[in-house]
Amino acid sequence: MTRIWEVFRQAEKGEYHTHCGNVHAPDREMAKQFAAIQHGRRKPTNSIWVVPKDEVGEIDTDDVAFGGTTDKGYRWTTAYNLQTRQAEEVEESDAEQQDAEKRRRTA
Amino acid sequence: MTMDIETVKERAGPRQFNPADDLPEEYRKAATRMIEFHANSEIMGAYLERPFIRQAPSIDRKLAFSAKVQDEIGHGQLLYRAAETLGIKTREEMLDDLAAGNGKFLNCFHYPMESWEETPMIAFFVDGAAMRRQATLRRTSWEPYAHAMDKVCFEEGFHVKHGEDILATLMSGSRAEQRRTQEAFEEWWPRIIQFFGPTDDRSTHHDFAADVGLKQMTNDELRQAFLDMYVPKARSYGLELPEYPRVYQNDEGRWVVEEDDLDWDEFFTVARNNYEPGVGQIDARARAQEAVEWVRGVVESDAPAAGGQAPQAAD
Repeated sequence: MTRIWEVFRQAEKGEYHTHCGNVHAPDREMAKQFAAIQHGRRKPTNSIWVVPKDEVGEIDTDDVAFGGTTDKGYRWTTAYNLQTRQAEEVEESDAEQQDAEKRRRTA
Repeated sequence: MTMDIETVKERAGPRQFNPADDLPEEYRKAATRMIEFHANSEIMGAYLERPFIRQAPSIDRKLAFSAKVQDEIGHGQLLYRAAETLGIKTREEMLDDLAAGNGKFLNCFHYPMESWEETPMIAFFVDGAAMRRQATLRRTSWEPYAHAMDKVCFEEGFHVKHGEDILATLMSGSRAEQRRTQEAFEEWWPRIIQFFGPTDDRSTHHDFAADVGLKQMTNDELRQAFLDMYVPKARSYGLELPEYPRVYQNDEGRWVVEEDDLDWDEFFTVARNNYEPGVGQIDARARAQEAVEWVRGVVESDAPAAGGQAPQAAD
């Protein structure tokens, strides 16, 4: 029986496997081969995961109210305007949070 | 075939190893020890701070403090997952060890915390120290650990800045508040310095952990970076460093601690889970774990076998 397999590609060692599409295949071995050919050829690839689609659980905005919609400003670094020099790693967290906030607003 | 230890050392670099690699037991045990310690610390720290959600002086502080405690518990969960992937211990074993007093965790979380003025000692200084260390662990060789650190560091910036904000408020508050904050600082400061453990020449596990890329910076380097950043910060808020341990600026302007002024006997008593107040904190958390045991039981007995292919009633 041919199933749909969701494909997750990791560009470089140590990075995250991120979803990049799916393939039709009769079994796991074939799914890996199809995924390698369809998703691992053009873009730099270190590793690929294939997962049967019906093994993937999904929950979406119809089911639940996800975070990030109510004002929880107190959770963000940007809420604390200290006007002091911050450690490098705190600055980095700050920058990542500002970036996430920007993307949330434009989403 | 299991990778031999020499190959591990040769290949040891940031995010080099993951569960698909067949790693020698020595590596997996060292990584487990480190990550389990980290996970336990998140949990014990959260329990220490939890009562202050109730004692927070304003609604804003209460919201932020409860969000922070929730984050820390989440960090513990992430880290137990990362540790489990090494195949040495299960999450249940780690939680049971912690409850039984056999799980090791950060020295600072063995001390009781009683007043609001103490909260920035953890939420600013200890979290600041922790974040220094965690930032370097984004380059650890065990990939699941590094990935957990990505998320932890993302959130931790809020904790540190919130902690600094509490300190800033207290140190611009009434004289009594400032005095109590200074007293809390004097009590906590030596423990905070000991966060990074003994100096490298007396550190037991460093060499191997560094050789296989688990640890990316030595205790000494981390302590130095912390002091250079946080001593000036403490002083800028009007906190005075206690007379002991002696801390001074060297010719290069870097802050140095007289290590022999620190109580290392107490540190090792704490590290062995033999420090009396800490034992009380371990037991209190064990009771909390026991109290919710029935919830775990219900969850586990209701859950279908892992995998969406479990038979449904209609099949």
